Amino acid sequence: MADALISFHDVALGYDGVPVLEGLALDVHRGDFLALVGPNGCGKSTILKGMAGILEPLRGSIRRGSGEKPVRFGYVPQGETIEMVFPLTVFQVALMGTYGRIGPGWPVTHADHARVRACLDDVGMADLQRKPFPSLSGGQRQRVLIARALATEPDILLLDEPLSGIDVQAAQVIMDLIERLHRERRLTMVMVSHHLKALREHEAVREVVWVYEGKLLRGPATTMLSPEMVYRMMDAEIG
Amino acid sequence: MDTLLEILNLHFLLRNALYGGLVIGAVAPLVGVYLLARRMVFIGIALPQVSTAGVAGAFVWHTFFHGHPSRDVNDFVIALVGSSVLTFAVILVLALLERRRRGLLEGRIAMLYAVAGAATILLLASDRVTEIGILSLLKGEIIAIPDIELVILLLGYGAIMALLTIFHKELVLVTVDREMAVSLGKHVLVWDLLLFAVIGVTISLGVLVVGPLVMFGFLIVPPMIAGRLVMGMRTVSIVAALVGAGIALIGFAAAYRLDWPTGPTDVALAGVVLAVVTAGQALRTFSLRSA
Repeated sequence: MADALISFHDVALGYDGVPVLEGLALDVHRGDFLALVGPNGCGKSTILKGMAGILEPLRGSIRRGSGEKPVRFGYVPQGETIEMVFPLTVFQVALMGTYGRIGPGWPVTHADHARVRACLDDVGMADLQRKPFPSLSGGQRQRVLIARALATEPDILLLDEPLSGIDVQAAQVIMDLIERLHRERRLTMVMVSHHLKALREHEAVREVVWVYEGKLLRGPATTMLSPEMVYRMMDAEIG
Repeated sequence: MDTLLEILNLHFLLRNALYGGLVIGAVAPLVGVYLLARRMVFIGIALPQVSTAGVAGAFVWHTFFHGHPSRDVNDFVIALVGSSVLTFAVILVLALLERRRRGLLEGRIAMLYAVAGAATILLLASDRVTEIGILSLLKGEIIAIPDIELVILLLGYGAIMALLTIFHKELVLVTVDREMAVSLGKHVLVWDLLLFAVIGVTISLGVLVVGPLVMFGFLIVPPMIAGRLVMGMRTVSIVAALVGAGIALIGFAAAYRLDWPTGPTDVALAGVVLAVVTAGQALRTFSLRSA
Protein backbone atom coordinates (compact mmCIF):
# COMPACT_ATOMS: atom_id res chain seq x y z
CA MET A 1 0.00 0.00 0.00
CA ALA A 2 1.17 3.50 -0.81
CA ASP A 3 0.87 4.95 2.70
CA ALA A 4 2.88 2.23 4.44
CA LEU A 5 5.56 3.65 6.72
CA ILE A 6 7.56 0.42 6.42
CA SER A 7 7.25 -2.27 3.75
CA PHE A 8 9.14 -5.57 3.71
CA HIS A 9 9.31 -7.19 0.25
CA ASP A 10 10.57 -10.78 0.25
CA VAL A 11 13.16 -9.86 2.88
CA ALA A 12 15.86 -12.12 4.30
CA LEU A 13 17.44 -10.94 7.55
CA GLY A 14 20.33 -12.45 9.43
CA TYR A 15 23.81 -12.03 10.85
CA ASP A 16 27.23 -12.45 9.22
CA GLY A 17 25.59 -13.32 5.91
CA VAL A 18 23.59 -16.21 7.42
CA PRO A 19 19.81 -15.67 7.15
CA VAL A 20 17.70 -16.13 10.28
CA LEU A 21 14.43 -15.23 8.57
CA GLU A 22 13.58 -15.42 4.87
CA GLY A 23 10.77 -14.39 2.53
CA LEU A 24 9.35 -11.80 4.95
CA ALA A 25 6.49 -9.62 3.75
CA LEU A 26 5.12 -7.09 6.20
CA ASP A 27 3.61 -3.58 6.06
CA VAL A 28 3.34 -1.10 8.91
CA HIS A 29 0.93 1.77 8.33
CA ARG A 30 0.65 5.14 9.98
CA GLY A 31 -1.33 4.81 13.21
CA ASP A 32 -0.80 1.05 13.59
CA PHE A 33 -0.08 -0.52 16.94
CA LEU A 34 1.58 -3.81 16.12
CA ALA A 35 2.96 -6.36 18.56
CA LEU A 36 5.55 -8.91 17.42
CA VAL A 37 5.31 -12.03 19.57
CA GLY A 38 6.79 -15.50 19.48
CA PRO A 39 9.08 -17.91 21.26
CA ASN A 40 12.60 -16.92 22.38
CA GLY A 41 15.09 -16.71 19.53
CA CYS A 42 12.44 -16.74 16.80
CA GLY A 43 13.70 -13.46 15.31
CA LYS A 44 11.33 -10.82 16.71
CA SER A 45 14.13 -8.39 17.59
CA THR A 46 15.81 -9.13 14.24
CA ILE A 47 12.69 -7.91 12.42
CA LEU A 48 12.61 -4.78 14.59
CA LYS A 49 16.28 -4.08 13.79
CA GLY A 50 15.49 -4.53 10.11
CA MET A 51 12.73 -1.94 10.42
CA ALA A 52 15.06 0.53 12.17
CA GLY A 53 17.80 0.08 9.55
CA ILE A 54 20.17 -1.42 12.12
CA LEU A 55 20.22 -4.63 10.06
CA GLU A 56 20.30 -4.37 6.29
CA PRO A 57 18.40 -7.12 4.43
CA LEU A 58 20.50 -9.95 3.01
CA ARG A 59 17.92 -10.26 0.22
CA GLY A 60 14.80 -8.38 -0.81
CA SER A 61 14.07 -4.79 0.11
CA ILE A 62 12.77 -2.74 3.01
CA ARG A 63 11.09 0.52 2.04
CA ARG A 64 10.91 3.14 4.75
CA GLY A 65 8.43 5.94 4.03
CA SER A 66 6.49 6.59 0.87
CA GLY A 67 7.42 10.14 -0.11
CA GLU A 68 10.41 12.46 -0.08
CA LYS A 69 10.39 12.87 3.69
CA PRO A 70 12.35 10.09 5.42
CA VAL A 71 10.67 8.25 8.26
CA ARG A 72 11.99 9.15 11.69
CA PHE A 73 12.44 6.20 14.01
CA GLY A 74 12.36 6.27 17.77
CA TYR A 75 14.22 3.08 18.66
CA VAL A 76 13.89 1.79 22.22
CA PRO A 77 16.41 -0.99 22.88
CA GLN A 78 16.29 -3.35 25.83
CA GLY A 79 17.38 -1.42 28.93
CA GLU A 80 20.17 -3.79 29.90
CA THR A 81 21.86 -3.58 26.47
CA ILE A 82 23.20 -0.11 27.23
CA GLU A 83 26.35 -0.48 29.27
CA MET A 84 28.35 2.55 30.26
CA VAL A 85 31.93 2.68 31.47
CA PHE A 86 31.44 6.38 32.22
CA PRO A 87 27.82 6.66 33.41
CA LEU A 88 25.70 9.34 31.77
CA THR A 89 22.93 11.12 33.64
CA VAL A 90 19.29 10.48 32.77
CA PHE A 91 19.18 13.84 30.97
CA GLN A 92 22.32 13.10 28.94
CA VAL A 93 20.87 9.76 27.81
CA ALA A 94 17.60 11.37 26.75
CA LEU A 95 19.49 14.18 25.00
CA MET A 96 21.01 11.64 22.61
CA GLY A 97 17.59 11.44 20.96
CA THR A 98 18.09 14.94 19.53
CA TYR A 99 21.41 14.10 17.85
CA GLY A 100 19.74 12.72 14.72
CA ARG A 101 18.22 16.09 13.86
CA ILE A 102 21.35 18.13 14.56
CA GLY A 103 24.03 18.18 11.88
CA PRO A 104 27.57 16.94 12.63
CA GLY A 105 29.52 19.55 14.55
CA TRP A 106 26.48 21.70 15.38
CA PRO A 107 25.81 22.30 19.05
CA VAL A 108 22.71 21.21 20.95
CA THR A 109 20.50 24.27 21.47
CA HIS A 110 18.45 25.46 24.45
CA ALA A 111 15.33 24.48 22.48
CA ASP A 112 16.66 20.90 22.26
CA HIS A 113 17.26 20.90 26.01
CA ALA A 114 13.73 22.14 26.61
CA ARG A 115 12.31 19.46 24.29
CA VAL A 116 14.21 16.73 26.14
CA ARG A 117 12.95 18.03 29.49
CA ALA A 118 9.39 17.91 28.13
CA CYS A 119 9.92 14.31 26.94
CA LEU A 120 11.27 13.30 30.37
CA ASP A 121 8.29 15.02 31.96
CA ASP A 122 5.97 13.12 29.63
CA VAL A 123 7.29 9.78 30.86
CA GLY A 124 7.41 10.88 34.50
CA MET A 125 11.20 10.99 34.79
CA ALA A 126 11.86 14.75 34.97
CA ASP A 127 12.58 14.62 38.72
CA LEU A 128 15.36 12.08 38.21
CA GLN A 129 17.12 13.83 35.32
CA ARG A 130 20.37 14.36 37.25
CA LYS A 131 20.58 10.74 38.43
CA PRO A 132 23.12 8.36 36.87
CA PHE A 133 21.31 6.21 34.29
CA PRO A 134 22.84 2.91 35.51
CA SER A 135 21.52 3.56 39.05
CA LEU A 136 17.89 3.39 37.85
CA SER A 137 15.57 0.39 38.14
CA GLY A 138 14.65 -1.58 35.00
CA GLY A 139 11.29 0.15 34.64
CA GLN A 140 12.79 3.62 35.12
CA ARG A 141 15.46 2.86 32.51
CA GLN A 142 12.78 1.89 30.02
CA ARG A 143 10.93 5.14 30.62
CA VAL A 144 14.13 7.13 30.03
CA LEU A 145 14.79 5.21 26.81
CA ILE A 146 11.22 5.94 25.69
CA ALA A 147 11.84 9.64 26.45
CA ARG A 148 15.02 9.46 24.37
CA ALA A 149 13.08 7.91 21.50
CA LEU A 150 10.42 10.64 21.81
CA ALA A 151 13.16 13.29 21.61
CA THR A 152 13.85 12.13 18.03
CA GLU A 153 10.34 13.44 17.19
CA PRO A 154 9.56 10.09 15.62
CA ASP A 155 6.93 8.98 13.13
CA ILE A 156 7.16 5.50 14.55
CA LEU A 157 8.29 4.06 17.87
CA LEU A 158 10.08 0.69 17.74
CA LEU A 159 10.21 -0.95 21.17
CA ASP A 160 12.34 -4.03 21.78
CA GLU A 161 11.03 -6.02 24.78
CA PRO A 162 10.17 -2.95 26.87
CA LEU A 163 8.69 -5.18 29.59
CA SER A 164 11.56 -7.62 29.98
CA GLY A 165 13.40 -7.76 33.30
CA ILE A 166 10.90 -5.59 35.20
CA ASP A 167 8.26 -6.43 37.79
CA VAL A 168 4.52 -6.65 37.07
CA GLN A 169 3.71 -3.19 38.46
CA ALA A 170 6.48 -1.51 36.48
CA ALA A 171 5.33 -3.39 33.37
CA GLN A 172 1.83 -2.05 33.89
CA VAL A 173 3.18 1.52 34.16
CA ILE A 174 5.21 1.09 30.95
CA MET A 175 2.26 -0.39 29.02
CA ASP A 176 -0.04 2.42 30.20
CA LEU A 177 2.58 4.94 29.11
CA ILE A 178 3.00 3.35 25.68
CA GLU A 179 -0.78 3.23 25.23
CA ARG A 180 -1.13 6.90 26.23
CA LEU A 181 1.64 7.99 23.84
CA HIS A 182 -0.06 6.10 21.01
CA ARG A 183 -3.39 7.72 21.80
CA GLU A 184 -2.27 11.29 22.53
CA ARG A 185 0.57 11.65 20.02
CA ARG A 186 -0.98 9.35 17.40
CA LEU A 187 2.35 7.55 17.27
CA THR A 188 2.72 4.42 15.19
CA MET A 189 3.99 1.64 17.44
CA VAL A 190 5.76 -1.63 16.77
CA MET A 191 6.57 -3.54 19.91
CA VAL A 192 8.38 -6.80 20.51
CA SER A 193 7.16 -8.63 23.60
CA HIS A 194 6.56 -12.03 25.07
CA HIS A 195 4.30 -10.65 27.81
CA LEU A 196 1.07 -11.82 26.18
CA LYS A 197 -1.08 -11.03 29.22
CA ALA A 198 0.03 -7.40 29.25
CA LEU A 199 -0.69 -7.10 25.52
CA ARG A 200 -4.11 -8.68 25.92
CA GLU A 201 -5.04 -6.19 28.66
CA HIS A 202 -4.36 -3.13 26.50
CA GLU A 203 -6.88 -2.30 23.81
CA ALA A 204 -4.47 -0.09 21.90
CA VAL A 205 -2.64 -3.22 20.73
CA ARG A 206 -4.83 -3.82 17.70
CA GLU A 207 -2.74 -6.22 15.65
CA VAL A 208 -0.38 -9.02 16.54
CA VAL A 209 2.21 -10.77 14.40
CA TRP A 210 3.31 -14.23 15.53
CA VAL A 211 6.86 -14.99 14.45
CA TYR A 212 7.24 -18.73 14.33
CA GLU A 213 9.71 -20.93 12.43
CA GLY A 214 10.55 -18.11 10.06
CA LYS A 215 6.91 -17.37 9.19
CA LEU A 216 4.75 -14.38 10.06
CA LEU A 217 1.12 -14.84 11.09
CA ARG A 218 -0.72 -11.54 11.34
CA GLY A 219 -4.18 -10.83 12.64
CA PRO A 220 -6.32 -8.85 15.08
CA ALA A 221 -5.10 -8.96 18.67
CA THR A 222 -8.32 -10.52 19.90
CA THR A 223 -7.81 -13.53 17.63
CA MET A 224 -4.04 -13.80 17.76
CA LEU A 225 -3.86 -13.54 21.55
CA SER A 226 -6.83 -15.81 22.19
CA PRO A 227 -6.08 -18.76 24.49
CA GLU A 228 -6.65 -21.20 21.59
CA MET A 229 -4.08 -19.44 19.40
CA VAL A 230 -1.56 -19.16 22.22
CA TYR A 231 -1.97 -22.88 23.10
CA ARG A 232 -1.53 -23.76 19.43
CA MET A 233 1.70 -21.80 19.20
CA MET A 234 3.05 -23.01 22.53
CA ASP A 235 2.12 -26.61 21.80
CA ALA A 236 3.96 -26.36 18.53
CA GLU A 237 6.98 -24.92 20.33
CA ILE A 238 7.05 -27.63 22.98
CA GLY A 239 6.72 -30.24 20.34
CA MET B 1 57.57 25.32 45.47
CA ASP B 2 60.92 26.75 44.39
CA THR B 3 61.27 23.94 41.87
CA LEU B 4 57.82 24.67 40.49
CA LEU B 5 58.64 28.36 40.11
CA GLU B 6 61.95 27.49 38.49
CA ILE B 7 60.46 25.15 35.86
CA LEU B 8 57.62 27.59 35.10
CA ASN B 9 60.14 30.35 34.32
CA LEU B 10 59.93 31.28 30.63
CA HIS B 11 63.72 31.00 30.33
CA PHE B 12 63.90 27.55 31.94
CA LEU B 13 66.34 25.44 29.91
CA LEU B 14 64.07 22.36 29.62
CA ARG B 15 60.89 24.35 29.06
CA ASN B 16 60.05 22.57 25.78
CA ALA B 17 60.12 19.20 27.54
CA LEU B 18 57.74 20.59 30.18
CA TYR B 19 55.41 22.09 27.56
CA GLY B 20 55.45 18.88 25.51
CA GLY B 21 54.60 16.82 28.59
CA LEU B 22 51.80 19.22 29.54
CA VAL B 23 50.26 19.09 26.06
CA ILE B 24 50.35 15.28 25.98
CA GLY B 25 49.15 15.10 29.59
CA ALA B 26 46.13 17.24 28.71
CA VAL B 27 45.18 15.82 25.30
CA ALA B 28 45.99 12.09 25.53
CA PRO B 29 43.35 11.50 28.27
CA LEU B 30 40.68 13.00 25.96
CA VAL B 31 41.40 10.13 23.54
CA GLY B 32 41.83 7.63 26.38
CA VAL B 33 38.26 8.32 27.54
CA TYR B 34 37.03 6.75 24.27
CA LEU B 35 39.44 3.81 24.55
CA LEU B 36 38.03 3.04 28.00
CA ALA B 37 34.41 3.70 27.03
CA ARG B 38 34.73 1.30 24.09
CA ARG B 39 36.59 -1.25 26.20
CA MET B 40 39.62 -0.98 23.92
CA VAL B 41 42.21 -0.46 26.66
CA PHE B 42 44.55 -3.07 25.23
CA ILE B 43 44.76 -1.08 22.01
CA GLY B 44 46.09 1.75 24.17
CA ILE B 45 49.04 -0.40 25.23
CA ALA B 46 49.61 -2.22 21.92
CA LEU B 47 49.57 0.78 19.58
CA PRO B 48 52.32 2.76 21.35
CA GLN B 49 54.43 -0.41 21.11
CA VAL B 50 53.62 -0.69 17.41
CA SER B 51 54.44 2.98 16.99
CA THR B 52 57.84 2.45 18.65
CA ALA B 53 58.52 -0.49 16.33
CA GLY B 54 57.68 1.85 13.43
CA VAL B 55 60.21 4.41 14.70
CA ALA B 56 62.90 1.72 15.06
CA GLY B 57 62.09 0.29 11.63
CA ALA B 58 62.27 3.72 9.97
CA PHE B 59 65.67 4.49 11.55
CA VAL B 60 67.14 1.11 10.64
CA TRP B 61 65.77 1.42 7.09
CA HIS B 62 67.28 4.91 6.78
CA THR B 63 70.63 3.79 8.17
CA PHE B 64 70.71 0.82 5.81
CA PHE B 65 70.08 2.86 2.67
CA HIS B 66 71.35 6.36 3.52
CA GLY B 67 73.66 6.08 6.55
CA HIS B 68 72.79 7.44 10.01
CA PRO B 69 70.35 10.33 10.06
CA SER B 70 71.66 13.62 11.39
CA ARG B 71 70.39 14.60 14.84
CA ASP B 72 68.15 17.38 13.56
CA VAL B 73 64.71 17.82 12.07
CA ASN B 74 65.31 14.85 9.69
CA ASP B 75 65.57 12.66 12.75
CA PHE B 76 62.08 13.64 13.88
CA VAL B 77 60.57 13.43 10.40
CA ILE B 78 61.93 9.90 9.84
CA ALA B 79 60.62 8.81 13.23
CA LEU B 80 57.24 10.45 12.59
CA VAL B 81 56.88 8.75 9.19
CA GLY B 82 57.82 5.33 10.61
CA SER B 83 55.56 5.75 13.62
CA SER B 84 52.56 7.04 11.62
CA VAL B 85 52.77 4.55 8.74
CA LEU B 86 52.91 1.48 10.95
CA THR B 87 50.34 2.77 13.47
CA PHE B 88 47.79 3.67 10.77
CA ALA B 89 48.36 0.41 8.87
CA VAL B 90 47.70 -1.60 12.05
CA ILE B 91 44.63 0.49 12.97
CA LEU B 92 43.21 -0.05 9.49
CA VAL B 93 43.73 -3.82 9.60
CA LEU B 94 42.27 -4.06 13.14
CA ALA B 95 39.24 -1.97 12.12
CA LEU B 96 38.61 -4.15 9.05
CA LEU B 97 38.92 -7.39 11.03
CA GLU B 98 36.70 -5.99 13.78
CA ARG B 99 34.06 -4.99 11.23
CA ARG B 100 34.10 -8.48 9.73
CA ARG B 101 33.98 -9.89 13.27
CA ARG B 102 36.77 -12.34 12.48
CA GLY B 103 38.60 -13.95 15.41
CA LEU B 104 39.16 -12.71 18.95
CA LEU B 105 40.07 -9.02 19.18
CA GLU B 106 41.91 -9.32 22.50
CA GLY B 107 44.02 -12.18 21.11
CA ARG B 108 45.01 -10.15 18.06
CA ILE B 109 45.97 -7.14 20.18
CA ALA B 110 48.00 -9.24 22.61
CA MET B 111 49.80 -10.86 19.70
CA LEU B 112 50.41 -7.42 18.20
CA TYR B 113 51.91 -6.14 21.45
CA ALA B 114 54.29 -9.10 21.73
CA VAL B 115 55.35 -9.05 18.06
CA ALA B 116 55.84 -5.25 18.03
CA GLY B 117 57.97 -5.43 21.19
CA ALA B 118 60.08 -8.26 19.78
CA ALA B 119 60.47 -6.49 16.42
CA THR B 120 61.66 -3.31 18.16
CA ILE B 121 64.33 -5.21 20.10
CA LEU B 122 65.47 -7.15 17.03
CA LEU B 123 65.66 -4.01 14.89
CA LEU B 124 67.68 -2.24 17.57
CA ALA B 125 70.06 -5.17 17.90
CA SER B 126 71.10 -4.59 14.31
CA ASP B 127 71.92 -0.90 14.74
CA ARG B 128 73.83 0.47 17.76
CA VAL B 129 73.26 4.19 17.05
CA THR B 130 69.52 3.78 16.64
CA GLU B 131 69.46 1.65 19.80
CA ILE B 132 70.69 4.53 21.98
CA GLY B 133 68.00 6.92 20.71
CA ILE B 134 65.18 4.39 21.01
CA LEU B 135 66.26 3.24 24.47
CA SER B 136 65.81 6.75 25.83
CA LEU B 137 62.38 6.76 24.18
CA LEU B 138 61.52 3.45 25.84
CA LYS B 139 62.70 4.78 29.21
CA GLY B 140 60.53 7.87 28.77
CA GLU B 141 63.34 10.39 29.23
CA ILE B 142 61.68 13.63 28.21
CA ILE B 143 64.62 16.02 28.24
CA ALA B 144 65.16 18.02 25.10
CA ILE B 145 62.42 18.75 22.57
CA PRO B 146 63.45 21.02 19.67
CA ASP B 147 61.13 23.97 18.92
CA ILE B 148 59.99 22.47 15.60
CA GLU B 149 58.94 19.21 17.30
CA LEU B 150 56.99 21.15 19.89
CA VAL B 151 55.26 23.13 17.14
CA ILE B 152 54.31 19.92 15.27
CA LEU B 153 53.04 18.43 18.54
CA LEU B 154 51.00 21.55 19.31
CA LEU B 155 49.48 21.61 15.82
CA GLY B 156 48.68 17.89 15.82
CA TYR B 157 47.24 17.81 19.32
CA GLY B 158 45.43 21.12 18.75
CA ALA B 159 43.69 19.53 15.75
CA ILE B 160 42.80 16.46 17.83
CA MET B 161 41.34 18.60 20.59
CA ALA B 162 39.31 20.58 18.06
CA LEU B 163 37.95 17.42 16.39
CA LEU B 164 37.01 15.82 19.73
CA THR B 165 35.24 19.01 20.82
CA ILE B 166 33.39 19.67 17.55
CA PHE B 167 32.23 16.08 17.02
CA HIS B 168 31.75 15.21 20.68
CA LYS B 169 28.07 14.29 20.38
CA GLU B 170 28.57 12.06 17.33
CA LEU B 171 31.52 10.23 18.91
CA VAL B 172 29.64 9.77 22.19
CA LEU B 173 26.58 8.44 20.36
CA VAL B 174 28.48 5.80 18.36
CA THR B 175 30.44 4.87 21.49
CA VAL B 176 27.50 4.52 23.91
CA ASP B 177 24.77 3.19 21.62
CA ARG B 178 25.76 2.17 18.08
CA GLU B 179 22.32 0.78 17.25
CA MET B 180 20.67 4.05 18.18
CA ALA B 181 23.22 5.90 16.04
CA VAL B 182 22.37 3.71 13.02
CA SER B 183 18.63 4.14 13.58
CA LEU B 184 19.18 7.93 13.56
CA GLY B 185 20.88 7.65 10.16
CA LYS B 186 24.43 8.29 11.40
CA HIS B 187 27.29 6.83 9.34
CA VAL B 188 28.85 4.79 12.09
CA LEU B 189 31.80 3.65 9.95
CA VAL B 190 32.78 7.26 9.16
CA TRP B 191 32.76 8.20 12.86
CA ASP B 192 34.69 5.05 13.74
CA LEU B 193 37.33 5.91 11.15
CA LEU B 194 37.57 9.48 12.47
CA LEU B 195 38.07 8.19 16.00
CA PHE B 196 40.68 5.65 14.87
CA ALA B 197 42.51 8.39 12.94
CA VAL B 198 42.51 10.56 16.07
CA ILE B 199 43.84 7.64 18.13
CA GLY B 200 46.54 7.02 15.49
CA VAL B 201 47.75 10.63 15.38
CA THR B 202 47.68 10.94 19.17
CA ILE B 203 49.76 7.83 19.68
CA SER B 204 52.22 8.19 16.80
CA LEU B 205 53.01 11.82 17.71
CA GLY B 206 52.98 11.29 21.48
CA VAL B 207 55.25 8.25 21.42
CA LEU B 208 57.95 10.30 19.68
CA VAL B 209 58.00 12.78 22.54
CA VAL B 210 57.35 10.72 25.68
CA GLY B 211 57.76 7.07 24.63
CA PRO B 212 55.30 4.15 24.74
CA LEU B 213 55.10 3.67 28.52
CA VAL B 214 54.22 7.26 29.32
CA MET B 215 51.86 7.46 26.35
CA PHE B 216 49.89 4.49 27.63
CA GLY B 217 49.92 5.95 31.14
CA PHE B 218 48.49 9.28 30.01
CA LEU B 219 45.90 7.61 27.77
CA ILE B 220 44.44 5.41 30.48
CA VAL B 221 45.14 6.53 34.06
CA PRO B 222 43.74 10.12 34.05
CA PRO B 223 40.37 9.00 32.57
CA MET B 224 40.23 6.24 35.22
CA ILE B 225 40.80 8.85 37.94
CA ALA B 226 38.24 11.23 36.41
CA GLY B 227 35.68 8.42 36.03
CA ARG B 228 35.82 7.92 39.81
CA LEU B 229 35.22 11.60 40.49
CA VAL B 230 32.59 12.83 38.02
CA MET B 231 29.86 11.64 35.64
CA GLY B 232 29.19 11.96 31.91
CA MET B 233 31.59 11.73 28.96
CA ARG B 234 32.15 15.49 28.60
CA THR B 235 32.76 16.10 32.31
CA VAL B 236 34.99 13.02 32.57
CA SER B 237 36.97 14.27 29.54
CA ILE B 238 37.50 17.75 31.01
CA VAL B 239 38.50 16.45 34.45
CA ALA B 240 40.78 13.79 32.86
CA ALA B 241 42.54 16.49 30.82
CA LEU B 242 43.06 18.62 33.94
CA VAL B 243 44.29 15.62 35.94
CA GLY B 244 46.66 14.62 33.10
CA ALA B 245 48.10 18.13 32.82
CA GLY B 246 48.45 18.34 36.61
CA ILE B 247 50.29 15.02 36.74
CA ALA B 248 52.58 16.13 33.88
CA LEU B 249 53.44 19.36 35.73
CA ILE B 250 53.99 17.88 39.19
CA GLY B 251 55.69 14.79 37.75
CA PHE B 252 58.11 16.98 35.80
CA ALA B 253 58.88 19.07 38.90
CA ALA B 254 59.46 15.95 41.00
CA ALA B 255 61.65 14.31 38.34
CA TYR B 256 63.68 17.53 37.95
CA ARG B 257 64.18 17.88 41.69
CA LEU B 258 65.00 14.21 42.35
CA ASP B 259 66.91 13.71 39.10
CA TRP B 260 64.62 10.89 38.01
CA PRO B 261 63.51 10.10 34.45
CA THR B 262 60.40 12.21 33.78
CA GLY B 263 58.16 9.62 32.08
CA PRO B 264 58.25 6.91 34.74
CA THR B 265 57.87 9.61 37.43
CA ASP B 266 54.67 10.82 35.70
CA VAL B 267 53.25 7.30 35.45
CA ALA B 268 54.14 6.43 39.06
CA LEU B 269 52.54 9.68 40.24
CA ALA B 270 49.41 8.91 38.19
CA GLY B 271 49.27 5.48 39.85
CA VAL B 272 49.55 7.06 43.32
CA VAL B 273 46.77 9.56 42.54
CA LEU B 274 44.54 6.73 41.26
CA ALA B 275 45.20 4.69 44.42
CA VAL B 276 44.42 7.67 46.68
CA VAL B 277 41.19 8.48 44.80
CA THR B 278 40.10 4.82 44.86
CA ALA B 279 40.86 4.55 48.58
CA GLY B 280 38.97 7.80 49.25
CA GLN B 281 36.00 6.48 47.30
CA ALA B 282 36.02 3.18 49.20
CA LEU B 283 36.22 5.06 52.51
CA ARG B 284 33.29 7.27 51.51
CA THR B 285 31.16 4.27 50.50
CA PHE B 286 32.04 2.54 53.78
CA SER B 287 31.12 5.60 55.89
CA LEU B 288 27.85 6.04 53.97
CA ARG B 289 26.92 2.41 54.59
CA SER B 290 27.83 2.68 58.27
CA ALA B 291 25.77 5.85 58.76
